[in-house]
Amino acid sequence: MIDVRAWVLWAVTALVVASSTRNPLYLVLLLLVVAVVDKAHAPGHRQRAVLSPLRFAAVAVPLSVLFNGLTAHLGDTVLFRLPTWLPLLSGSVTLEALVFGATNGLTLTAIFSGFVVFNQVTPVRDLVQLTPRAFHEAGVVLSIALTFVPQTTHSLARIREAQAVRGHRIRGLRDWLPIFVPLLVSGLERSMGLAEAMVARGYGAVTDRSQPLRLQALLALGLFLLLGGWLAFLFLPSWKALALGGILVGVALIVGVLWLAGRAVPRTAYRTHRWTARDTLVVLGCGLTLAATLLPLPLVDRTTLAYAPFPRLTLPAFDPLIGLGLLGLLVPVYHATRNTQHATRNTAQ
Amino acid sequence: MIHFNQLTYTYPGSSYPALSNVTLDILEGEFVLLAGPSGAGKSTLLRCLNGLVPHFTGGTLRGSVTVAGHDPVAEGPQVLSRIVGFIFQDPEAQFVVDRVEDEVAFALENAAIPPAEMRTRVEEALGLVGLLPLRDRPLETLSGGEKQRVAIAAALALRPRILALDEPTSQLDPESAEEVLSALERLNRELELTIILAEQRLERILPYADRLVYLPSPLPIRGGREGVVLSGPPRRVLRQMDLTPPLVTLGKALGWEPLPLTVEEGRKSANRQIGKSQMANRKSPFVHSSIRPFVDSQIRRFSILHPPFSIRDLHFSYGDTHALRGVALTVGEGELVALMGRNGSGKTTLLKCIVGLLRPQQGEILLEDESLIGRETADICRRVGYLPQEPDALLFADTVADELEVTLRNHGLLDNPPIIPADLLARLGLSGLATSYPRDLSVGQRQRVALGAVTVTRPRLLLLDEPTRGLDYAAKRELVRLLREWQAEGAGVLLVTHDVELVAQAADRVVVLEQGAVSADGPPAEVLTGSLLLAPQVARLFPGTGWLTVEDALAGLLPS
Repeated sequence: MIDVRAWVLWAVTALVVASSTRNPLYLVLLLLVVAVVDKAHAPGHRQRAVLSPLRFAAVAVPLSVLFNGLTAHLGDTVLFRLPTWLPLLSGSVTLEALVFGATNGLTLTAIFSGFVVFNQVTPVRDLVQLTPRAFHEAGVVLSIALTFVPQTTHSLARIREAQAVRGHRIRGLRDWLPIFVPLLVSGLERSMGLAEAMVARGYGAVTDRSQPLRLQALLALGLFLLLGGWLAFLFLPSWKALALGGILVGVALIVGVLWLAGRAVPRTAYRTHRWTARDTLVVLGCGLTLAATLLPLPLVDRTTLAYAPFPRLTLPAFDPLIGLGLLGLLVPVYHATRNTQHATRNTAQ
Repeated sequence: MIHFNQLTYTYPGSSYPALSNVTLDILEGEFVLLAGPSGAGKSTLLRCLNGLVPHFTGGTLRGSVTVAGHDPVAEGPQVLSRIVGFIFQDPEAQFVVDRVEDEVAFALENAAIPPAEMRTRVEEALGLVGLLPLRDRPLETLSGGEKQRVAIAAALALRPRILALDEPTSQLDPESAEEVLSALERLNRELELTIILAEQRLERILPYADRLVYLPSPLPIRGGREGVVLSGPPRRVLRQMDLTPPLVTLGKALGWEPLPLTVEEGRKSANRQIGKSQMANRKSPFVHSSIRPFVDSQIRRFSILHPPFSIRDLHFSYGDTHALRGVALTVGEGELVALMGRNGSGKTTLLKCIVGLLRPQQGEILLEDESLIGRETADICRRVGYLPQEPDALLFADTVADELEVTLRNHGLLDNPPIIPADLLARLGLSGLATSYPRDLSVGQRQRVALGAVTVTRPRLLLLDEPTRGLDYAAKRELVRLLREWQAEGAGVLLVTHDVELVAQAADRVVVLEQGAVSADGPPAEVLTGSLLLAPQVARLFPGTGWLTVEDALAGLLPS
């Protein structure tokens, strides 16, 4: 199993790549890579996302094409012109604007796909464990809120059925009342029940939760230095070095206070993930991708990332080194394949 | 171990106390069954053990409670969580995370137990309830009994000395309930854990209990005697209780000594009794007189030849899972058919297909020669009343009377109602509550309001899904009375239930579903006695006689 921190880096890398290029060739390659990872890591038994990336693309790409085509009147290849009496939309509709719209749609789809995969491979609980210990309670609340969503959906279905058997039909807004009231009441009852169960199991049994005044003062000082440093950096060019120092000290103070406050929260973790070589491999893969797309490396032509079809549509350029870099995101597939082989061998034995 | 001293507790805003002057002692290692009608304060008493009352609920409390030397009122539920493990009625409502092992570890993580010890404790707790093989499973994939055992393991992980359980088996089918009870019995025997369990269906728990505590209704009883808390060995307390399980009722009526708590115990007395009656009536035909006084033989003949409701070759699948495979079923005029079977055998699916909430892939459903297939639920439900498993989902209006009016308005019958709402409320015993807010009522009353809301159209067929869940003996008796009245007026009833004693009392015919197909269909005396799982206590006591209820047995044994 890949560590959740490695997955976070993977998702961030996919996001960075998707937002740093408009070259459709790289975007399509990124989409393919993400799809392969998705296929390898989300086998049948796992609950699939309600909205698949394919469905998302089927909506996002045409909408983006339509919107860009109608509003951006740039480009030489005019397809037709909209009459002048149409406010905002009037003008020429060009092939270039349509292609640019499609590229934007692809970017959105790539970002969405990255999140879908991340969502499917990381359990909520592991994500909650990533929150600093000082924010543990907020993490628990978040995980409960997430489990409430499917429960509420079930309740809604049950209540709709119960009202339908009384002859209830939904025709207007008022007809939602017989559904909304029991839904709200049952949700409140469930929350009270859960709160009671958690208290009965000793949740919140910590004697003193208030942080010492010293920590609070240090946090305030850290925030002040961070904000002051940032403002100085922006508006006082001669104080740049001092401003940077202020920012660094501020950040260090905030991190330190959070760490100290976290230590004061008496809590242990049942599942502790040990960082393994495979997690390091995933990080290296992401590093390769980030280096190829962000760093000014020799031999790599980063200008190919910034493709624009204007003023006249041309074929996008493709640098094989950047393409190779994108394949760094495929490392998790290797782990999934190894896991499957391991499982098959176990079953065979 | 536990001492209640003149404890009186009143919920905020309530005009009468939920617990009145309770004095009670419970010894270490006892298995205590807490009985009493709904609203008697069983849950409240349990919540006093760990300080949820009054810390979580508010309200006023007089008197004192001591639990293993601690004062829950002064120390609060968080401290008491290490001493009292609490298990609620609905296991799902108490889960915080989504996997078995993580759920058991949740309380330990919050108590900052070191990881190494945590692993030992999780292992130990899962082992005690027999869940080690399921440790990695997501909770949503478990059965009801398994989920309740996870909740018990989660409480055990904190190594409490007392387990307090609030109707832990009321949402479960008989097999799952048995699973949970055996786990509890083992914990009580092997770890000497003190167990205090509140329950409505006493027959399931009595064999395990060392002590029975009976809480009377706190409401003033009309013309009745003042209720007192009874506590002691089960047999002694049962003698003083009005409503008891069939086996005990029979034992009391026939003066059996000692009073039997299990069928095995009862069998000896039964054999003696049969000998006494010189087996005069042993082969007597199944006694009907006290069971269905209203059913007219003319109607019954007609209904068998030409049933007004019939299902033929019904098939339904959820994706690849076949839930119904060629079900055929009839319900005659004025006939009560009980539909039984394990959880997941397709009972609720069948009811949903009838009212059009699910569309069957194949087959026919006919009501008075008209097909119901493809029609809208709202249309069908004008002639078919359907009470779903959780009647609370129906209730939303401001008053009880409004609930009935809403249904009439939905069907466009407000100006010309098939039954006067006030008359229906009177029949349901709700006249005095017509202006009450439905959700403030007791479980039994809420269920009757929901029943009113689905029967105000005077349906020809009534479908009831598990209507006795969470009902006490009195509410159950009331439900049987209502069903008999509807039958007498010619309405057919299809009753889905796990409650064999209810079926024994009320059903004309029993249909058993197994994996989506009908595996048995016949008179109760035939179907119920043919299976160990479905046999009511009286049938198991007198095998081969066809007797199912206390009335049957008394009529057979005491012919005079």
